[in-house]
Amino acid sequence: MTPVIVSSFAIITFAAIIHASFQLSVSVLTMLSGHSLGRKTAHRKVLRLMGSFINGSIVATALLLASLSYLLILKINFSTSSEQLVAAIASGLMIGLGIATWAFYYRRGGGTSLWLPRNFARYLNTRTKQTKNSAEAFGLGLTGVFAELLFIIGPMIAAALAIVTLPTVWWQLSGLIIYIIVSALPLLVVFTLVGGGHSVAKIQKWREKHKRFIQFIAGGSLIILAAYLFVDRLLGISVYGVF
Amino acid sequence: MSEPVIVIKSHNTKKTEYFDIDKLQKSLIATCRSLKTPDGQAEDIAKSVAAGVAKWAESKQEITTDDIRRVGAKLLTKYHPEAAYLYKQQLTVI
Repeated sequence: MTPVIVSSFAIITFAAIIHASFQLSVSVLTMLSGHSLGRKTAHRKVLRLMGSFINGSIVATALLLASLSYLLILKINFSTSSEQLVAAIASGLMIGLGIATWAFYYRRGGGTSLWLPRNFARYLNTRTKQTKNSAEAFGLGLTGVFAELLFIIGPMIAAALAIVTLPTVWWQLSGLIIYIIVSALPLLVVFTLVGGGHSVAKIQKWREKHKRFIQFIAGGSLIILAAYLFVDRLLGISVYGVF
Repeated sequence: MSEPVIVIKSHNTKKTEYFDIDKLQKSLIATCRSLKTPDGQAEDIAKSVAAGVAKWAESKQEITTDDIRRVGAKLLTKYHPEAAYLYKQQLTVI
């Protein structure tokens, strides 16, 4: 493995962990399971709905990351200065997003209310309550990722940049798959917990108790990734040239 | 016969409806069921809590949905603390 492969996979994994720490999809999935159980839906059907939601979320993430990577391939076209430009933009964006995450990712007060406009949050709440079949749950999963785009766009651009600088298609595909799996981990954990019979209230209590820690880690990690990308893809290329 | 209590659903749109004890009961039953409480127990708890909320609302002309949730959660805590937590949280999960 060359240094660029190692560095790219480090960026992809770290970016995916940051993506995973954003909570909108987890919130919607928690609500979906709560509402489905409240309607006396069979346990197997609850799991099917949750599975469809996770699939929707995975498909949206894959489509977004693949599209971004494709756009970057067209833009960068193996030119070092373009790669540096994208790295500089991504670094700046992630520093801004890191500060924004610390400042207003969670609203003040109890619960796990997110930064979303309240009307949209209420709409998501109503849609979640009305979701009764797998296709709707799949759509809700897609929506969750797009609604969180404001925050996940930073790590996604960083991951896309790392993916396009990998040497072969197989390496690039591996990078894409790693990002998707790691970013979906919290959803898989909630799925496993609800599937294993854990109470939705306990999951929500845990989320509420640790929300400030998650917020701090997400914001801090964005800034760390921005610094790493700046050093690795901007200063690194300027000092040592292309790998 | 006393006047029906008006529930203000949203401060922005000023959307209102009359207080409906059955609707409240259904919501409480769903919350208890989501924690796998047996049906009979969920219905008993919901009946008691909804009656408590109705009694509290009796003397008021206008109440909000937030008031119902707050009072409902407080009464529900006595019977099922976990359900009370979830009931209170429902609008603040997202």
